[in-house]
This record gives sequence, structure tokens and C-alpha cells, in this order.
Amino acid sequence: MSDLRLAVNAAAPATGEALTNKLVARKLGFRYGDTQALRDVSIDIPERRVTALIGPSGCGKSTLLRVFNRIYAIYPKQVADGEVLLDGENILGPKYPLSRLRSKIGMVFQKPVPFPMSIYENVAYAIRHHEKLTRTQMDERVEEALQQAALWTEVKDKLKRSALGLSGGQQQRLCIARAIALHPEVLLLDEPTSALDPIATGKIEQLVADLKARYTIVIVTHNMQQAARCSDFTAFMYLGELIEHGITEKMFTNPGKQQTEDYITGRFG
Amino acid sequence: MRYPRRTSARADRFFAGLVASAGYFVLFALAGAAISMFWGGREAITTFGFDFFTSSNWDVGAGQFGAAVAIFGTLVSATIAMLIAVPISFGIALFLTEVAPNWLRGPVAAAIELLAGIPSIIYGMWGLFVLAPYLGEHIYPWVNDNLGELPLIGALFQGPPIGIGLLTAGLVLAVMVIPFTSSVMREVFLTVPTRLKESAYALGSTKWEVAWDIVLPYTRTAVIGGVFLGLGRALGETMAVTFVIGNAYNISASLLEPGTSIASSIANEFAEAVDPLHKSALLALGFVLFVITFVVLSISRLMLRQLKRREGTV
Amino acid sequence: MSESSNLHRWRAIKNQIALVLSGAAALFGLFWLTWILWTTLSRGIGAINWALFTQMTPPPNEEGGLLNAFAGSAVMCLMAIAIGAPIGVAAGTYLAEYANFRKIGHTIRFVNDILLSAPSIVLGLFVYTLVVATTGQFSAIAGSIALALIVLPVVVRTTDDMLRLVPSQMREAALSLGVPQWKVTVQILYRGALGGIVTGVLLALARISGETAPLLFTAFSSQYWSLDLTQPMSNVPVVVFQYAASPYESWQQLAWAGAFMLTMFVLVLGICARLILLRNRIANE
Repeated sequence: MSDLRLAVNAAAPATGEALTNKLVARKLGFRYGDTQALRDVSIDIPERRVTALIGPSGCGKSTLLRVFNRIYAIYPKQVADGEVLLDGENILGPKYPLSRLRSKIGMVFQKPVPFPMSIYENVAYAIRHHEKLTRTQMDERVEEALQQAALWTEVKDKLKRSALGLSGGQQQRLCIARAIALHPEVLLLDEPTSALDPIATGKIEQLVADLKARYTIVIVTHNMQQAARCSDFTAFMYLGELIEHGITEKMFTNPGKQQTEDYITGRFG
Repeated sequence: MRYPRRTSARADRFFAGLVASAGYFVLFALAGAAISMFWGGREAITTFGFDFFTSSNWDVGAGQFGAAVAIFGTLVSATIAMLIAVPISFGIALFLTEVAPNWLRGPVAAAIELLAGIPSIIYGMWGLFVLAPYLGEHIYPWVNDNLGELPLIGALFQGPPIGIGLLTAGLVLAVMVIPFTSSVMREVFLTVPTRLKESAYALGSTKWEVAWDIVLPYTRTAVIGGVFLGLGRALGETMAVTFVIGNAYNISASLLEPGTSIASSIANEFAEAVDPLHKSALLALGFVLFVITFVVLSISRLMLRQLKRREGTV
Repeated sequence: MSESSNLHRWRAIKNQIALVLSGAAALFGLFWLTWILWTTLSRGIGAINWALFTQMTPPPNEEGGLLNAFAGSAVMCLMAIAIGAPIGVAAGTYLAEYANFRKIGHTIRFVNDILLSAPSIVLGLFVYTLVVATTGQFSAIAGSIALALIVLPVVVRTTDDMLRLVPSQMREAALSLGVPQWKVTVQILYRGALGGIVTGVLLALARISGETAPLLFTAFSSQYWSLDLTQPMSNVPVVVFQYAASPYESWQQLAWAGAFMLTMFVLVLGICARLILLRNRIANE
């Protein structure tokens, strides 16, 4: 714990501003059925930075992400204990409204899943549920989201067309646009490029770099180069536990734990 | 402006309750059918006791009702149907999954599936107007002369070659069940992983060896499930049977003699039954049919489900 | 000649025999089905004329048509769909979206599969005791309810299957945007599964349009033009049944005409349903 604190504070001067923790997990456990997927995980996610979660498959990195916006709650027999604080408020508490949580924490999944409707509607759909906007306001909002997701120039002439006609990379950027259109504070990306080709992957990574000025980003990836390229902090998980968490550069050049080094240098998993 | 959240939670609960009650309605429909027939048939069962199931005396005028003839006819006609339909359906399914050239598979399979949807009354009419006269004139006399004299099985083929009877009913049922059973079997065969078959071909197996040694063992449970599904259909089929079974309450060793089945008895008599005991006896027959088909269909579903489970893990 | 080449030859022969037999089985099966189809077409087409669609069912040995039977069938089938399809979609939604992993879900799915193949005459008896016995008369409503009980399991099954085909990430993506579950279901999942559900309803319609057994003692039949739902109502299958079993030539002619129309209707619906599925599959790829 104290190591990380030091590391975080050491990182702060380099970026010229003080870091606050947006999302904090304390003694977080998670199980489905009899399987314990997360064990005693405590982690601080700093605001307006990119934190990457890495580790071999089955290590719990995606599970951790799914706890952060309680998407696991749609399945029976999945239980989280401990706490996750968003701006100091425990989101796992029964009183925390799901609707508010999900408008604050957006999520993008492995495979792009555009809704079966037009490109415009894909973005406008969720906004309509949270806010009542006039037509022009909505148009602006959709354009802004598509701009931020670096998709606007490609789709501005075919907003009424079905989103299913877009390429995989475009679909994934549409999903990102859909999430940021709600003006969330945190963006969770669950292996967002694993189904994409290298060119589309490059675009998404560039996008992540641009978006971190506004959003706190947590990205799960199985690709270590990707973690090294686009994150500020990296957390290494193994068998449901958080092994090490620190500044990305340090993690990849001088990891503190033997397991981390073994994983990064490709000696296991 | 944000929408009030409490409304959406309430709407969520309302919707969940709505679809849940529809789900429970499915249970109600099946249970209701069973209970209503049992309740309606209790008079006949209390009047005749266990004899209701074993007596072959069904005499509306005398108020005597025994279900044995109808149960016998149901079981025999369905058995005949399955004896014919199972090997043919197996052949068709094999042909459509392993033998036929690719361009032929889709269209023939679709055609057979379409034919499986033709109303059973059409099969019944064809049986009455086309098949029965043909059998009565050309086939049954020959069967009579050549098989009727044989020891043991001869008794099955004696009697007047009038064309209608248990054997004809079984034949019509077989023709009706074939498209159904072969479609199910074909679908079952399609679940065999290609790599399994390819590795057998790679070892030099012939198509037949792949079918017999790989496909069939792999799908055995589900194939039996499919056969039982077809059997369930044949047991409960009304219209295809009513036209050609003869609707006579007699039990005879001969398959050429007219008989009756549970479903055709109900179809023929229920609307005109005036005597409450007669109605009750028919409802009790319906209950018997329900129980028989329920058991057969349950077995079928359990066996087909096993396949689904394996599909999930392989 | 070596032993192994003998073995090879025997295996090849065995293979040939089996392949020929399976081809023969396919031909044999198709032979009967073609025969039935041919009978229906050849006898039915001759009986089709203008009067069939403009006149009522006649007394024996008189000219007439099946107008009242067509109308009655249409009314009852549509009512059956109107009753059975919404309940079926709702129940299928419950299975796929709410009870998927739960015991009650497995139970309902199992019971629904039984209901799907249960003898239709049994459902007729059920509705008889439920409706006809309590109201004291045969009625179109009773007939529609009996048919609705056949529609129900078909629609439950297709809705359940189609919704479960929608990738779970679609649900997660929509829910993670803070949209409540019922809206996700109605506005997104139904949209994705629509083609399949429509196909299910069409197949259900095809199935009930020719169902005779459940109508025999619920809607019964009527010789006259009647659209009164509380009265017995004429319908094609029962009329075909009665007329085919009758000794009158003219009635048998009408029965074949009715059988022909039923078959055509079922085949056309079946083809439409498959086309919709096909188009959906192409659109999804």
C-alpha cells in the first residue's frame, strides 16, 4: 500500500498536477457459485489517468472491471464483498442507485455490440433515458460524442443508417461514443481491441490517449505492449489477487515482485 | 432534467411480474389439462374401478365402458408406425448429412421439414381415399394368401382385406411421422463436430464407418430421444388415424381387422356423447392418453437434453 | 490376393450397400410424401371454383362453397394468435431473461416442451371442460382458446431461443448505460430477436390452421354464416373432416377443395417463415 502511495506521489510532479483517487477498492472479494474469483483486492484508481489491468486469463482482471459498475448483478449467484468507493461513496452499498452508478461509470466490452438501430440512435438511445433534451441539444450531444470518439468524420453522412453496417473498429468506437455521450466520469474498457485488426487497434489506443484528459480510464488488456503504450499505471493480477500495482514505466522496467517479472518477460501463463 | 428513478424501478418490477406470470401460465396450461381430464373422468373410474383399464367391453347403449381396446389400438398402431418410420428416418437423416451431394442437402431437408407441417387431416384423407382402397384391392389379398398361412406370425395377417384397420392406421402414421423424425435426427446428426468426423476420414474410414462408428455412438441418446418424440406424436395423433382405423371396438390378433385408438374414440364420440358416464369415460380415456404421452415425451426430452448439455461442454 | 486387400474390398462393398440403402430410404420417404401432395393437388385443384369463396357450406348434393368455413377459420386463428402470441412472448422472455439459470426456468422449459408435442385432442378436452361445460355451449371463443394453447408453446420456444441467441454482451452494454432492464428487453433485445419471433408466430399460425382435433368439441361447426363468438362457428378443418367422412360426392369434392387450400396455406406460410429466418441470418452476418 505505502509503496503505491509513494509511487503515485512520485508520478504527480511529472504530470504537473496533484492526483486524487477516483475509484478505490478496499478488501474486495468476489465469487460466483463456489468459485472465488477475487480475493482481498485493494487498489486505488487515480483520476484522469489510464490504469491498465494485466495478468493471465482467469486472473480476475475482467471480473474486477465488472464489479466497478456492478454489471455482474444481472447474474444470480454472483456476490461481491468489501467496498468500492467512487468519490468516497460505497457503490456496492444497497442504497447506491444502479442507474446513477451506470451513468457515472461507462463500460465498453471486448466485442463491439452496436444495438440493432441507426448510428444516431445508438448514441442517443441511452441519453434519452437519463436526460430530456430538445432535438438540437440531442444533435449536438450526439455529434460531440462521435467527435470525441474520433468517428464523426467517417459517419456524419450516414447517421440514419444501421450501425450493423459499420466495420468492427468503427463499431467499437461507436460503443465508446455511446458510453461517453452520457458524460460519465469513469470509463471501463474490457479488452476493447481484442477483436480488432492492428489498424483499428491503433485508432482505439490513440483515442484512449486523447480521452484521458477528461475521463478516468481503466483498461483490461492481455496485450502487454498495449498496457505499456497507453497506460500511466499498471496493476498485475494473478489468481484473483492483486500482485503489484505501480507506475507503468517502472512496472515494465523494474518490477517489484518476481511473479510480475516472470509474467512480463513471458516466462509463465 | 433527470427522470425520477423510482418510477423506472417500479416499471422494472411490474414487467418482471408480468412475464413471470406468463411463464407460470405455461405450467398451469399443462397441469390444468391433466387435472380437468382426471376430474372429468373420475366418475367412470370410480364406477368401473380398475376394470376400466382392462375390460375390452365398450358398449354405449348398455353403459359399459372399458378402455382396453382403445389402449391396445393406440399402442399397436403407434408401434407399427415406429417400426417402419425409424429405419427410414435414419436412412433419410444419414442421406441428408453424409451421403447426398451438398447442393441437394439443403433443398431436400427444407422440403421434408415443410411436409412435416402439413395438417394431419390431409394424411388421414389420403389414407382413406387413396391408400386404403389400394391396399384393400392389391396388397392385403396377397398378404392374406401368402403370410396368413405362416406359423406364428400368420395370425397377424388373417381376416377380411377391407383396407382399413390397425395396419393401415400404422402405415399412415408412419408416413406422417417420417418427415418429423427424420428432421429431428438430421438436426441431431449435424451436432457431431466436424473435426471428429474429419479425423475418422483421415484414418481412411468409409462414410458408412463414420456414420456407424462415430456419428451414431456420439448421438445415440439424442437419436433415441428423437424416436420417442416421434412416438409421442404417433400415440396422440387423431385425424390421421380416425379416417382409417375402422373405429370398431374389437381386439383381434389380426392387424387387418378394424380397431380403434384412444384419440379416434374421443374424436368420434365426444361431441355426441349424451350419457354423463359416457362423457366421463371418454375424459378418462383422454387422461390415459395424457399420461402415456407425458411419460414418452418426458423420456424424449430428457434424452434430447443430454445432447444439449454435451454441446455446451465440447 | 492379400488378406488386407480383401478386407478393403469388403469394407468398400459394405459402404456401397449402406449408401445405396440410405439413398433408397430417402427416395422411399419422399415417394410417399410426393404421393400425398400429388393426391391433394390433383383432387383439390379440380374442386376449386369461384363458388368456393362466395357461397356457404351446402346441404348434401347441392352446390355450395366454404365461405363461412374460411371466415370462421380466419376469425378463430387470428383470435388464437391474439391470445397465445403475447402470452407466449412474455413467457419466453421470462425464460430467457429472468429465469434462465434458475430451477423454475428449467421446469417451465421442460413443461413447455411437453406441451409443444402434447396431443392436440387432449387440449380440446381441457378447453371443453374449462369453457364449453361451464358456459353450456360450443363457441368460437372456446375454439380460439384451444388453438391458443397450441400457439402458446410454439411462441414460448422460439422467443426463448431467439432471445438467448442475442449475445449477453448486448444486454450488458445496454444495462451498463443505465437503461432499466425492461426497456433493454423491449427496445433492444426484441428488436434483435424480432425476425425469429415473427417466424415463430407464422409457424404457429400454420400449425393451428389445419388443426382439427381441438376444434371438434370446442368450436364444433356450423352450417351457416356466423361471426358470433359465443356460438358454434364453422371452420375449414372440421368441415373437411365431416364432409370427407360423408357418403356424398359433392361434400367429398368440397372436402378436397378445403384440404387443398389448407395445404397451400401451410406450405406458403412455411416458406415465408423460412425466408424471414434466412434474411435475418444474412443480415446478421
